Amino acid sequence: MEPILAAAGAGHAVAFYAMAALAVASAVLMMTQRNPVACVLWLVVCFVGLAGLFVTLEAYFLAVIQVLVYAGAIMVLFLFVIMLLNLRPEDLKAVALPRIPLVGVVAALLLLAAVVTVISASRPYFGMSVAGILAEVGPTKDSVRDIGLPLFRDWLLPFEATSILLLAAIVGAVALTKRKV
Amino acid sequence: MEIQIAHYLVVAGILFAVGLTGVVVRRNAIVILMCLELMLNAANLALVAFSRVHRDMQGQVFVFFAITVAAAEAAVMLAIIIAVYRQRQTVNVDEMDLMQG
Amino acid sequence: MGAEFNDYLPVVLTVLLAGGLAVLLLGLSAVVGKKARGAPVRDTPYECGMPILSEAHTRFSVKFYLVAMLFILFDIEVVFLYPFAVVFDDLPASLIFVEMLVFLAILFAGWIFIVKKGVLRWQKEE
Repeated sequence: MEPILAAAGAGHAVAFYAMAALAVASAVLMMTQRNPVACVLWLVVCFVGLAGLFVTLEAYFLAVIQVLVYAGAIMVLFLFVIMLLNLRPEDLKAVALPRIPLVGVVAALLLLAAVVTVISASRPYFGMSVAGILAEVGPTKDSVRDIGLPLFRDWLLPFEATSILLLAAIVGAVALTKRKV
Repeated sequence: MEIQIAHYLVVAGILFAVGLTGVVVRRNAIVILMCLELMLNAANLALVAFSRVHRDMQGQVFVFFAITVAAAEAAVMLAIIIAVYRQRQTVNVDEMDLMQG
Repeated sequence: MGAEFNDYLPVVLTVLLAGGLAVLLLGLSAVVGKKARGAPVRDTPYECGMPILSEAHTRFSVKFYLVAMLFILFDIEVVFLYPFAVVFDDLPASLIFVEMLVFLAILFAGWIFIVKKGVLRWQKEE
């Protein structure tokens, strides 16, 4: 197949900017929508954009998990709860307006400043070319094995703790929502 | 034009800031929970970027665990929201003031 | 990435096709279709010609949430099984097999809890 983009890094850059724009724009839309169902759907779009960013970092397995588990399953759970609570339009109006808009804006600006500080503190990594790193590491052949080996070799205890966490979530959610236990 | 690690960190920072703004500004408990999920995902993006910086896959294992924890957290938080809704008939966090002195 | 970017051309094409079809169909129905003016009954959903009995936004039973929630938590379990299967041959079987057995046993306890509590029972117990 003929390369559709001549420069080696150009395809990477185009993919990055497209996915980053998709993720950021849908995140902002998610935050500003009044209808919670619209919020959920924009967050799904945002997670797809994040999965695209994972692909540009060659974290293929995480990208698949992101779409299957996050966008596919967890967001459906949110939709279920919204339909379950059956919020009427008057409820939506009551919850739509920001509490204190100025506080939110100030908090966001402060946080953005903090993020900029953190990023400038990690200056040694700042100018590293992602395409350069990926070329140096070589093509990712098996991203499942790349994650699975450290997971089952070095992270035994966290892995088993995860099952206890899931068990706790099962028991907790059932105990909280089931009427007559 | 070349994409650097900083680009990913900036995107992660913006997403985190958007999520935090949503947590502070919104009143609907479900939407606040969704903004929390967005913040978690912004951290995940930074973790994957740094795992590339250090040429170490452990960062991606962290993200794997973070997604698992997020699923468990979302399940329990939504159960709490349902339980509160049964008591108070609201998801507005300003009206959940039973513990206020 | 570079030349491998071409590998994603089918994905891009699929997304473009799917999005284009949605835009095309919605746009066509907006352009070609006629607005039902002055007859509110024409805007109501079609229920085999019967008068509408109730709103579409009825409240769902909490059982739907419980089933969806249990699906997600066991879905996560299966996500762990996938890398397990891939790396099974690379690590000593005694280690990785016992590891996964403990993991599954703990979640199996959760499954027994669910069955005992009758979460998956749809008929009224009382």
